Amino acid sequence: MMDEDFDRILDECIDRINRGDNLADCLSDYPAYSEKLKPLLQSMHDVQKTYTFTPSADTKRTARQKFHAALGKRRQMTPVLSFFKVISRPAVWATVAVLVLAIVGTLVIRPILNPPTLVPSPEGNFAFLISDEPNDIGDFESLNVTISRVELQAAGSVKRLEFTPEIKTVDLTQLQGEQSQEIWRGNVPAGQYSHVYIYVSEVKGRLELTGQTVDVKLPSGKLHISMPFEVTADTVTSFTFDITVVAKGNTGEYNLKPQIGESGARQEQKPLE
Amino acid sequence: MNIDNRKNISTINEYETRLSGLYEEYYDKIARYVYVHIGNKEEAEDITGEVFLKALKSLKSYREQGVPMQGWLFRIAHNLTVDYLRKMNKRRTVPIDSVVLQGNDNPANTAEKNIEFERVTEAMKQLTTEQREVINLRFFGGLTSKEVGGVLGKNDGAVREMQRAAIEKLRGIMGVER
Repeated sequence: MMDEDFDRILDECIDRINRGDNLADCLSDYPAYSEKLKPLLQSMHDVQKTYTFTPSADTKRTARQKFHAALGKRRQMTPVLSFFKVISRPAVWATVAVLVLAIVGTLVIRPILNPPTLVPSPEGNFAFLISDEPNDIGDFESLNVTISRVELQAAGSVKRLEFTPEIKTVDLTQLQGEQSQEIWRGNVPAGQYSHVYIYVSEVKGRLELTGQTVDVKLPSGKLHISMPFEVTADTVTSFTFDITVVAKGNTGEYNLKPQIGESGARQEQKPLE
Repeated sequence: MNIDNRKNISTINEYETRLSGLYEEYYDKIARYVYVHIGNKEEAEDITGEVFLKALKSLKSYREQGVPMQGWLFRIAHNLTVDYLRKMNKRRTVPIDSVVLQGNDNPANTAEKNIEFERVTEAMKQLTTEQREVINLRFFGGLTSKEVGGVLGKNDGAVREMQRAAIEKLRGIMGVER
């Protein structure tokens, strides 16, 4: 045990001297071993002193240049390897995935989820109207439909535009047959469109006979018409979206549906300014 | 290229960087280590340059298990030194017959240094090969006992024991009080 302890202390002192400590400091830290340590460390000092030499600066510089030249040559020869080093990193794959998602989000998902909002304007080239095709509307004293937004989808694309109606709530009982109500007017980019979506936030129906409110269903919370139409810059396009209410048999319930046969666009000349 | 290959390439690139970082710290130490073996400063410097170039070429074969890179450099230095001595057909640790210390000191001082050099070299020759290697790696290579153990395939306790025995032997031959 004593030998092991001494071996450790001697070893520590050699490490310290290698790092630049002096012999006396090490001896003073181990006074109990000082007498035995001193001759051994002195021998170490003698051996080191005898063989000490400092390589010439010129030779060292030349060797260093050769080493770095060889290192540079290796690295020049392995650009592909560096590429694989880069692409093997999970962080790089994560970055690529984020970029792909960002691109997909920008080009595909964002236009669907967050389509650009159109600004209303009295002199706009597009008017949006709501009408009602009489089916079971006669059962109602009033049928108020609140529209939160309307979306137009460009033909052959997933790109959508949206606007918020200036008149949000319409009473379908007042819009039967040839009657219609303009709920928004503004500027819409000229082009071909193929789909119109109406997002309904609330439907309140009161029956003519009983005065009771009745549940009017709207599957999926929106009404959708697939119909090609064109918007031009120099005319006003009026699009009428016809909605109809239909009784669900004898259940006492009603459904709200788009009436594609009565819906559609027509062009009018813009009034002269 | 499969994942293992890419991993290997990445590891080798890291080793290259580490080797480059060790150059400044270990060039002088390796040069002294080689010098103690061959007793020729110029040749020791040339061999030291070769050590780093050979290490660069052999990075693929370097395995970090047990031996730190600086220990691996000393293994290469040892092998190159053995090759050199074989070529020179000199198996002496230090060819003292051919060594003439140079210096700017006056002739009396140079003569004294030569005597001292001969005395230490003669003592070193009395050590076993392993003891000499431990002393060389510890005193000139600056490696720790654990690192020396990695180079020689010994545990650090055995290295410490050999180290103490070697120094005691040197002291006995050289004498402390002069």
